[in-house]
Amino acid sequence: MTKDPATPLWRGTVVVRVFTLCFAVVHVIAESEAYQRPWLAWTILGAMAFWTVFTGFAYWGGWGRTKPVVVADVAVICVLMALSPLTMTDLQLQYWNVPLTTTVWASVPALAAGALGGQRWGLPAALVIGLSTYLTEGALTVGLMRDVVLLMGAAVVVGLAASVGRSATMARQSSSRMAEALRAEAAAGERERLARSIHDGVLQVLARIHKRGLEVGGETAELARLAGEQEIALRALLAAPGESTEDGEVDLRSALRVLATPAVQVSAPATRVLLDSAVADELTAQVREFLSGVTGRAWVLVEDLGDEVVISIRDDGDGEREVRVQRKGVLT
Amino acid sequence: MTVSVMVVDDHPMWREGVARDLAERGFEVVATAGDAASAMRIAKAVRPNVVLMDLNLGELSGVDATLMITGELPETRVLVLSASGEHDDVLQAVKAGASGYLVKSASAEELVEAVNRTAAGDAVFTAGLAGLVLGEYRRMAAAPDDAEDKPQLTDRETEVLRLVAKGLTARQIANRLVISHRTVENHVQSTLRKLQLHNRVELARYAIEHGLDSEPEAER
Repeated sequence: MTKDPATPLWRGTVVVRVFTLCFAVVHVIAESEAYQRPWLAWTILGAMAFWTVFTGFAYWGGWGRTKPVVVADVAVICVLMALSPLTMTDLQLQYWNVPLTTTVWASVPALAAGALGGQRWGLPAALVIGLSTYLTEGALTVGLMRDVVLLMGAAVVVGLAASVGRSATMARQSSSRMAEALRAEAAAGERERLARSIHDGVLQVLARIHKRGLEVGGETAELARLAGEQEIALRALLAAPGESTEDGEVDLRSALRVLATPAVQVSAPATRVLLDSAVADELTAQVREFLSGVTGRAWVLVEDLGDEVVISIRDDGDGEREVRVQRKGVLT
Repeated sequence: MTVSVMVVDDHPMWREGVARDLAERGFEVVATAGDAASAMRIAKAVRPNVVLMDLNLGELSGVDATLMITGELPETRVLVLSASGEHDDVLQAVKAGASGYLVKSASAEELVEAVNRTAAGDAVFTAGLAGLVLGEYRRMAAAPDDAEDKPQLTDRETEVLRLVAKGLTARQIANRLVISHRTVENHVQSTLRKLQLHNRVELARYAIEHGLDSEPEAER
């Protein structure tokens, strides 16, 4: 609650209410001689004092900055205001133009409403209080009009201040959420970078063992062969995210790169070659079948011509095979 | 004349191993570097014939270093030696100006031959790189923008690249197409040159469009 950016405004209304209460007390003391029912004036004043203390605690501490309390605030003021004329003689009321017992104290709820919900709340509250004053006094005077306009103006200013404070807080909150998201992304990026670096390191070591082992020969050559196989397997794994798209298409490159071995080279574009997953499986099976009959080296080339995908396979015995798939999914 | 070589790799074990292999086989290893920034600095100072470039170098990549070295040192050729199998990286490096690509698991003999051919100005194409380059030309052709200067392969160049991608050597291709070995090399080189030229033009256009070509002082 202490984070409410409108806190200074709420506390301001409490201070204004205490001051205006003092004014009302002085006013009642000055006028009480002439009142028709002084006891009622003092009773109203007592109620005002009680309400000032209650809203003071409610708004200052923050627990009462709610719609029910503010609505009650407006309602209580209107009731007290409506009771005020009963204190006075008809003469006071109609000719001497004596202010109501609630005086300017009655304007404070409009400010509280502004602090609660911006001008959207402040303006209607000011209008309600203005209307209540008009109904109570029973006459539309220039003085009344001026008071209502001033009250509405005050409510709008407080309301604007509250809205600006809130949107600044919201901007701060969303910018801190944004910063948090950026931090998370940076952390993920860093993890990925580390993983790449580690993978790269492992690949380097495998490649080096493969190369030096073959040069040394003998038993080491067997180690070299194993390292070479693992290097290609890891490279294929890293190159192949292997996920399928929403429409059930897969990247043909990923499927075929799994077939790469030290003797089988798979060449493909740098961009994805998307095919229906069933077609891709069928193609992969065909390539696998061809490769199973190859004893020496083999090359697989994947080409994406837009409306068709071409797979060419060749072995070093000069056996060649070409499979073309129309994007519609027809094998030819 | 001995070929001078510079080895760029962030793994000391690999860097020193390759440097030793090359030195044993008569190359002059004039420098080594462990990151892209020092690679650019040192290359300018020693002007090697061939730079053996790893791509996975950390903050600045081997692609950046390749672009700068081939841009500023027209006599120096860059041969990419990559273990990662990150295919897009390899393609980017070739577009940035590298004249060839070799996987790190290649044998010492293959490496020696590749360095010699790179020094001689030939493109070193593995089947894998040919597949990438073919794919790149097709991607550009299919791209929706109708830029007039999009590079295109001639039918013969496409034919040669496909054969390279299917594992045929330059000599086998020459025999099959009944052309000279030299012509095959020229076709392969031409496919790379067009790609690199296009890449430089694109980079320059991008720089002009985004106001990166003028000095900040000049704007005042």
